[in-house]
Amino acid sequence: MADGPLPSDLERLQLSPHDIERRKAFVDFQSDDAARITTIKDLVVRNADRYGAAFFDHLATIEEAFGLTRNRKLLEQARRLKQEHLVAMVRGEYGRDYMEQRVRLGVLYSRAGLSARVFLGAFHVLMRAIGADIIKQYADTPGDGFDCFMSLKKIGFLDIGLIVDVLIAERERTINLQQDAIRELSTPVLRLRERLLILPMIGVIDSMRAKQLTDGLLLSIRANRAKIVVMDITGVAAVDSKVANHLIQTVAAARLMGANVIVTGISADVAQSLVALGVDLTSIRTMNDLQGGLEEAERLLGYKVVQADGATPASGRA
Amino acid sequence: MPVPILKQGEMLIASIQSNLNDQDLMQLKDEIAEKVGRFKSRGVVLDVSILDVLDSFATRTLRSIAETARLRGAETVIVGIQPDVAVAMVQLGLTLDGVLTALDFEEGMELLVASIEGSRRGGS
Repeated sequence: MADGPLPSDLERLQLSPHDIERRKAFVDFQSDDAARITTIKDLVVRNADRYGAAFFDHLATIEEAFGLTRNRKLLEQARRLKQEHLVAMVRGEYGRDYMEQRVRLGVLYSRAGLSARVFLGAFHVLMRAIGADIIKQYADTPGDGFDCFMSLKKIGFLDIGLIVDVLIAERERTINLQQDAIRELSTPVLRLRERLLILPMIGVIDSMRAKQLTDGLLLSIRANRAKIVVMDITGVAAVDSKVANHLIQTVAAARLMGANVIVTGISADVAQSLVALGVDLTSIRTMNDLQGGLEEAERLLGYKVVQADGATPASGRA
Repeated sequence: MPVPILKQGEMLIASIQSNLNDQDLMQLKDEIAEKVGRFKSRGVVLDVSILDVLDSFATRTLRSIAETARLRGAETVIVGIQPDVAVAMVQLGLTLDGVLTALDFEEGMELLVASIEGSRRGGS
């Protein structure tokens, strides 16, 4: 998976040549940094195994990273990508290929449920291991060693920026998928009789859902040539002034299309809170429950429901 | 483009054929006011199904057409407001309070006939 094509959402990560230059500018990466990094190329390539091990050994001790370290398949991929990363990190070329490699690793971390704070800790351990070796190599000229390490650190921060972006983008993608799922559960508009629709509303009504609801209702009004709509809000958890406002707007829009709306199922709590909020619902026709709403709607439409002779008497209201 | 106003029995039918500018709307208002008197009409049907936008001026004019017609003895029904137009109007706070609305021409006619019948029975 990790070697496959990049998820298209990650195109949003902005990896155009211009953006890559900007990313380098953010960490103040200059050409002499690249030159300094190449001086430690052999060192890092030689010890890449050890650095990678430091990174993953550290993760292995952290409970929050078990999603990665206890998943053999993901771990193997991650190790391989990390190895590639370490080699690429000192190559001195930081173009689109380099960025894509990072993104792939980031996607893998995200799949393994590795959070940014855990990753940052392990990345620090990795950098420390490399830094210690650099200082050893530059034992005679510690100043140069420090500069060299700082140059490498710029790339480190470049990587961190990318990985964090990927983690965020992946999380957003998950949220979007969930939102789509919720949207698909959207409220159905049902035709109960000729010219009579019911709209059972359930759950939380946010602005997006309210808009969708209104649109769906208006289209159904037109398609079914509805005169009356019974909107039941028994299942709506909370009705605040915003939701109430949506209701009022929906009712007004339906009226413009020639349909009357009856709102039913306003519970005692909701009624009290609406009154306390001072929401003016006088423009809305209300009935206590769905049954009452339907009976009223039938009356307005001129239907008369009569019990057949010999049928078992229905319980409840006549 | 001016709106043709047709007479059908005791009804006037104004079917808007294209988007209207403010001047067209004013002209429509004047013409309806005049024709309601001339033909002694009892009802006016205003078909706005072609319009994909109804701004505040148009809404106000439609309302004043309805009120003017009522003063001259005719009930007005506005028919064919599209779903997205309705949503936009509501969001802009534009209302047609006190004006009859109906889904389409057929519905509007039915509503008008019922309303006129009702007022006749009430009156007699």
